[in-house]
Amino acid sequence: MQAYQSDIAKFDATETQVLGISVDSAPANARFAEDIKVTFPLLSDFKRTTVRDYGVFSEEGGYGTRATFVLDKDGIIRHIEQGRTAIDPSGAFQACSIFTKKS
Amino acid sequence: MTRKFLSFILLVALSVMACAQQPPAAPANKAQSAPPPVAPKTHLKIGDPAPDFTLSNTKGEKVKLSDFRGKKNVVLAFYVLAFTGG
Repeated sequence: MQAYQSDIAKFDATETQVLGISVDSAPANARFAEDIKVTFPLLSDFKRTTVRDYGVFSEEGGYGTRATFVLDKDGIIRHIEQGRTAIDPSGAFQACSIFTKKS
Repeated sequence: MTRKFLSFILLVALSVMACAQQPPAAPANKAQSAPPPVAPKTHLKIGDPAPDFTLSNTKGEKVKLSDFRGKKNVVLAFYVLAFTGG
């Protein structure tokens, strides 16, 4: 999340909204946002419906996993990253700068 | 004298056997270590419409994904539990 925050200007420049999503409660996310000083919204999927919709919920572990989805302005998925590489925002950034130029 | 010599030979033979048995024991232990946790793979594909959602931000306000439609690209960064980094 810190990595996304440090690249937030790049995302803003490509008219991209970054949304962080986890299964933590809103108060826990508020503390997290304060601690790591994020300016983009951190959303709480406390009921675990969205992580299931996106297939990033571990039924065994009961938690969401790291994943990044890049959507275009029509709400179509243009890029997916899962696992360890999803921590690094450069892949997501590259994807959205590429399709922003196209459109 | 012969008995002493025999017991010495027996001792040497036993220690050689003991040493010979140790190396195979080490790889066996390694194989028993736990398998890495399996991360679920998303069923969504590139080109699919993103499932809509309405979730609370840290101020308790509702944020709806479809509100960004036609206005902004969106990066959804799913992360594992706060305070774990990443």
